[in-house]
Amino acid sequence: MIWEELKESLIMMDLEASSSQDVFQKLGSALTREGYTKDSYIEALSEREKNFPTGLDINGIGVAIPHTDVSHVNKPGIAIGLLKNPVSFIQMATDDEEVKVKLVFMLSVINPEAHLEELKQILAIIQDTDVLKKLTEAEEKQQIINIIREKEIAL
Amino acid sequence: MKKKVIVACGGAVATSTIAANKVVELCKKNGIDVEICQIRISEIESNLSGAVLIVPTSKVKRDYGIPVITGMPFISGVGVEKTEAAIL
Repeated sequence: MIWEELKESLIMMDLEASSSQDVFQKLGSALTREGYTKDSYIEALSEREKNFPTGLDINGIGVAIPHTDVSHVNKPGIAIGLLKNPVSFIQMATDDEEVKVKLVFMLSVINPEAHLEELKQILAIIQDTDVLKKLTEAEEKQQIINIIREKEIAL
Repeated sequence: MKKKVIVACGGAVATSTIAANKVVELCKKNGIDVEICQIRISEIESNLSGAVLIVPTSKVKRDYGIPVITGMPFISGVGVEKTEAAIL
């Protein structure tokens, strides 16, 4: 269950960011500070995003799932950022289609085979428009955790 | 006969794992014997031998001479059924 792994120190509400790069910096720093990722993570994240963007338009709600190579990661984790004002990301599998992203799930992935279930659950959350809507309207960190917990229990 | 399907993304880390899993489930359900080759986009060229289909979750910029069906719906959840039908 993902909700059990979520930490308030890795959730940022009302995150003020001017660009996707700024999101990487702020959210990525939290992961590095907590020991999940290496110092090289943020730069690697930006570089990967340029070549393989991670923005998603889920029925009109903008979400991004930035992640990068395992060599920049110490242990698996998820940081969540709810942006005060949406910023532009390029949509996954496109070169130039932009999406205004409100919610960011930043992943530190070590061995995808080993935590396939977690990855599947993150996607199950992202693919549920109702859950996404609730998440984007959350005001407290604990609400984010509760919404994800309820969704996971219902899976 | 086993069918070889290439599932590829930028780093072979997260999204292609999900897409690969979906393709395996889908083929199992439909009695298709499938061999998944989960790799990076940059490795497609050298793994083409014997493959019948490419399911990428990133942009594929060139023609490899076999069909390409985007695996994006497995990530976004939008349009999954249509993609499944296309793969079959």
